[in-house]
Amino acid sequence: MSPFTSMLESLTRQRGVRASLIVSENDGLIVDSNLRFGQDGDRIAALAASMYRKARLSAGAARLGAVSFLQLDAERGRICAVGGRSDLVIVVVADPAANVGLIRVELFRALESLE
Amino acid sequence: MNIATVEPWVEAPLRRFVDDARARLALLLHPSGQVIAQAGFTREVDVMSACALAAASHATAGELGRRVDGHAFRSLHYAGPDRQLFLSPVETARGAYICLTVFNAESSLGLVRIYFEELCNDLAAAAPPLPAIRQPTIAADFELDLNRNLAALFGRHHP
Repeated sequence: MSPFTSMLESLTRQRGVRASLIVSENDGLIVDSNLRFGQDGDRIAALAASMYRKARLSAGAARLGAVSFLQLDAERGRICAVGGRSDLVIVVVADPAANVGLIRVELFRALESLE
Repeated sequence: MNIATVEPWVEAPLRRFVDDARARLALLLHPSGQVIAQAGFTREVDVMSACALAAASHATAGELGRRVDGHAFRSLHYAGPDRQLFLSPVETARGAYICLTVFNAESSLGLVRIYFEELCNDLAAAAPPLPAIRQPTIAADFELDLNRNLAALFGRHHP
């Protein structure tokens, strides 16, 4: 059991959430995760971390400030991610029909407890 | 990116890996240090020294692993301030190879690892079966092979 276990369990309990992970933004590696059956955690972690990093750098280059919340909607699911001052990014993979508003609230709550 | 191979079946999987993983340099070599393919290198001296060092590093890690853990350590990752390297073996029907991947902040260890898994699958699928009779590698053959491979990689004539 890691310090992130209960936080990840709480995120994965949300309706429509398939996986929640804490990922290192620079390495793209999983720090901790809570995955439903069939989810490839390593792949999600690497790609979500890369996407979040690119978004953060793009926002910086465009002088838009820090990235607070990142959402990717795809045909068969969506990825939501939040990051703070540390290297850690919290990533959630959810069904297309999942309530993003609730997930977003939970993600920011989780980020607060992380920092 | 400039890719050169001694074995033609290696080129497509290696090109895909380098593109997907956004690697800066990649090297596929035999555990003895003989180069099979290179991506991104511009000088043959660099390739030769990188092959020798990668083979030595892989052998060292393997032996260290056997001593401390009872099994050879398979993959190695070193992170420098600007560039990182990932060194890992690849198993194919033609035998085992070593892949050295150099990447920077454009990529990440996680990305390199997931695309490296795909490279292993692609190479295993693409590798033609080993010929039935294999000549033993002796010192004279090794040097001849090395020179022939380097000539093939850098497009110069080898007598």
